Amino acid sequence: MEGKGAMKINIDHTKCSGCKLCEVACSLNHTGAVNVQRSRIRVFIGEEFCLPVIARNYKAVCDSKGDMVMYNGHEVDECVVCRASCPVKSVFKELDGKTPLKCDFCRGDPQCVRWCPTGALTLVGGR
Amino acid sequence: MGLCGWKGKILRVDLTRGKIGEEDLSDDLMLNYIGGRIAGNKILLDEMDPMVDPLGPDNKLIFATGPLTGTGVPAGGRFIAVSKSPLTGGIANPCCGGYFGANLKYAGYDFLIIEGKSPEPAYLSIVNDQVTIKPAEHLWGKWATETENAIRAELSDSKDAWGRNTPSVLLIGPAGENLVSFASIMSDGGRALGRSGLGAVMGSKNLKAIGVKGTGEVRIADVKGFQKAIIDFIGEARETGQLENRSKWGTWDLIGRAQKTGTLCSLNFKEGDFDGFKPYEDPATIRDKIRVRDEACFGCPFRCGKRSTIFDPAYPGTAKGPEHETLGLFGSNCGVADLDEIWKANYLCNELGMDTITGGATISCAMELYELGYLTGKTIGYPLNFGNGTAILELLKKTAFRKDFGDQLADGGYAVAERAGHPELFMGVKKQGFPAWHPQGRFPGLEVIGLQYATSPVGASHTKSVMTFHSQSDDLTPLVAWTKHYQDYVSIVDAGVLCWIIYHGPMWEDKASSWLELVTGVSYSQDKLMMIGEKNWNMERLFNLAAGLSSEDDGLPQRMLTEAPPRGGRVVDLPPLLEEYHRIRGWDNKGVPKPEKLEELGLSEWKVKVQ
Ligand code: SF4
Ligand code: SF4
Repeated sequence: MEGKGAMKINIDHTKCSGCKLCEVACSLNHTGAVNVQRSRIRVFIGEEFCLPVIARNYKAVCDSKGDMVMYNGHEVDECVVCRASCPVKSVFKELDGKTPLKCDFCRGDPQCVRWCPTGALTLVGGR
Repeated sequence: MGLCGWKGKILRVDLTRGKIGEEDLSDDLMLNYIGGRIAGNKILLDEMDPMVDPLGPDNKLIFATGPLTGTGVPAGGRFIAVSKSPLTGGIANPCCGGYFGANLKYAGYDFLIIEGKSPEPAYLSIVNDQVTIKPAEHLWGKWATETENAIRAELSDSKDAWGRNTPSVLLIGPAGENLVSFASIMSDGGRALGRSGLGAVMGSKNLKAIGVKGTGEVRIADVKGFQKAIIDFIGEARETGQLENRSKWGTWDLIGRAQKTGTLCSLNFKEGDFDGFKPYEDPATIRDKIRVRDEACFGCPFRCGKRSTIFDPAYPGTAKGPEHETLGLFGSNCGVADLDEIWKANYLCNELGMDTITGGATISCAMELYELGYLTGKTIGYPLNFGNGTAILELLKKTAFRKDFGDQLADGGYAVAERAGHPELFMGVKKQGFPAWHPQGRFPGLEVIGLQYATSPVGASHTKSVMTFHSQSDDLTPLVAWTKHYQDYVSIVDAGVLCWIIYHGPMWEDKASSWLELVTGVSYSQDKLMMIGEKNWNMERLFNLAAGLSSEDDGLPQRMLTEAPPRGGRVVDLPPLLEEYHRIRGWDNKGVPKPEKLEELGLSEWKVKVQ
């Protein structure tokens, strides 16, 4: 589905409150229980900003040493803004610590977007 | 399979012996006491002699989640701490948001019971069922943010930032370490178990912090129904404008309402209005003056948390707040109108770990004592007139470390006033300071706030019942019944653990039972819930009676009963209100539950414990 490029979730992190309802929605939809560690969207709670990140495929292109980057005026660890389910990252892994998690757009009806109360997540295209 | 919602486990940590154990929750506890405040109270009553020294190793500190905690129920991610309060000598059950409750559930536990006293400074690390007591020598004396960051780093084995982001931390600041009687327990960047001084209980146990993370799940009984109910709830909150309002203003829109009704605490409750707050009657003024970001607790669509910054290089950090209570207690009640100064007091209280309400009440009381000449500038170290914001900040730091006059302030406003020979000038109940709502508002019916403060088991508190601003009648009888009803109902809110701010009105009163049913699969009728709530209220009463408190402690400061505020307001005629209250509670004229009442509620076994 990702290949068609039709459906996209737009993230406006300035609106995100860090409520993690998206994590609950995603895990409930995919595992039948609330288990935010198995969500395909994770929200980083910073002091100056909250940052929702959606998991996608790991492609071996990352040469990051975990440097700091400027992101909308805030200094953040590069790994935080990266969406890859990469091997050195502790999120976006099944509980076995290996199997990567990846957003499947909930088969066309993204639950995280439906639950998000702030408008931080919006759907573009895909209909 | 077990019940959904609850994890069914208690984690018990004995700090004296370094013993850590797990226990199963009984079905009785889950079904009949639900969780949070009510189940926590039940455990405390069953296990602990109410006469214990609150700062001794025999006091227990129970962190209690509810079946809804961590499920994503809107405004339902909270947890409660239950213990005996060093401030009041009675029961304590403050409630806190943030993420800690959810993370404790994901680690596998509904309740965490802390007992004994660690021989050395220690912190507790909980990573699923890997629970360890670790040395905290290196953290002792550190302020809140620094402590939290250190624990986050120590709890994550992975190097990446996400690893450090996952845990939740509960901690005390220097105030808790130094046994300040109104020390708070802080959590996740500025959330607080503020009231009742439980930070000092943690300090007395040599426990600096608790870090928790987990990978477990919480099961939902009716997944489809639950998903729909949440989406509907958020939609409804959006349509009614609630979502927008709460999110934008937090509790700031209450200043205007308080000014209009004469219920704003002002100058140690001498007055019910404060001209210095005129500009803040429009909450937009507050938002404009400090830089604010709106934050939510776990699973909450409302984002009433206001993380804020001011533009003063001496205070580079951020603080959560100031919300209505802090604005009132450190602002109008101390005669301070400068938002920056109030912000700094809020910041210091968060970082040093102190309750902003009793903290503000203590200093405003000292201010009045000073202005009346009962305390001298020499004793205090400052000319402590109303409005002296600089002195407040200096005194807060001294209080947390018990330095100079701060050593007296650390014992709370009542102790300060008593030592100065004028205990009647401390504005509080059971030694806990009044919240920002003045019980002598200008409209008939508002004096019921006084009854609610007087009868709250934890001392003066605005979150143990529900105020009403809609009555205009001189007949207060219906409002006494209202008070009782909402005291019982709020017990249920605190058992869920739902957020009082969102669920305290009649508007969503039926929601508690529907959330409980969707999550746990157990259906609770409204009647059954109200019965459990009433039982809880009586359990708390029994604890307090057995701890040595009596109806004498249900009084209000003399000023509330005899003098009306200068710009108009009510004199609270408390005795008839209490008499009616005792009658509908089924208590005798000394405020002791009658045997019939105890029997009706299934509490007869407790009769003997009350002398
Ligand atoms: S679209 Fe669905 S799968 Fe993707 S992050 Fe959102 S909830 Fe998870
Ligand atoms: S649901 Fe929306 S506001 Fe809440 S954490 Fe997720 S993205 Fe942020």
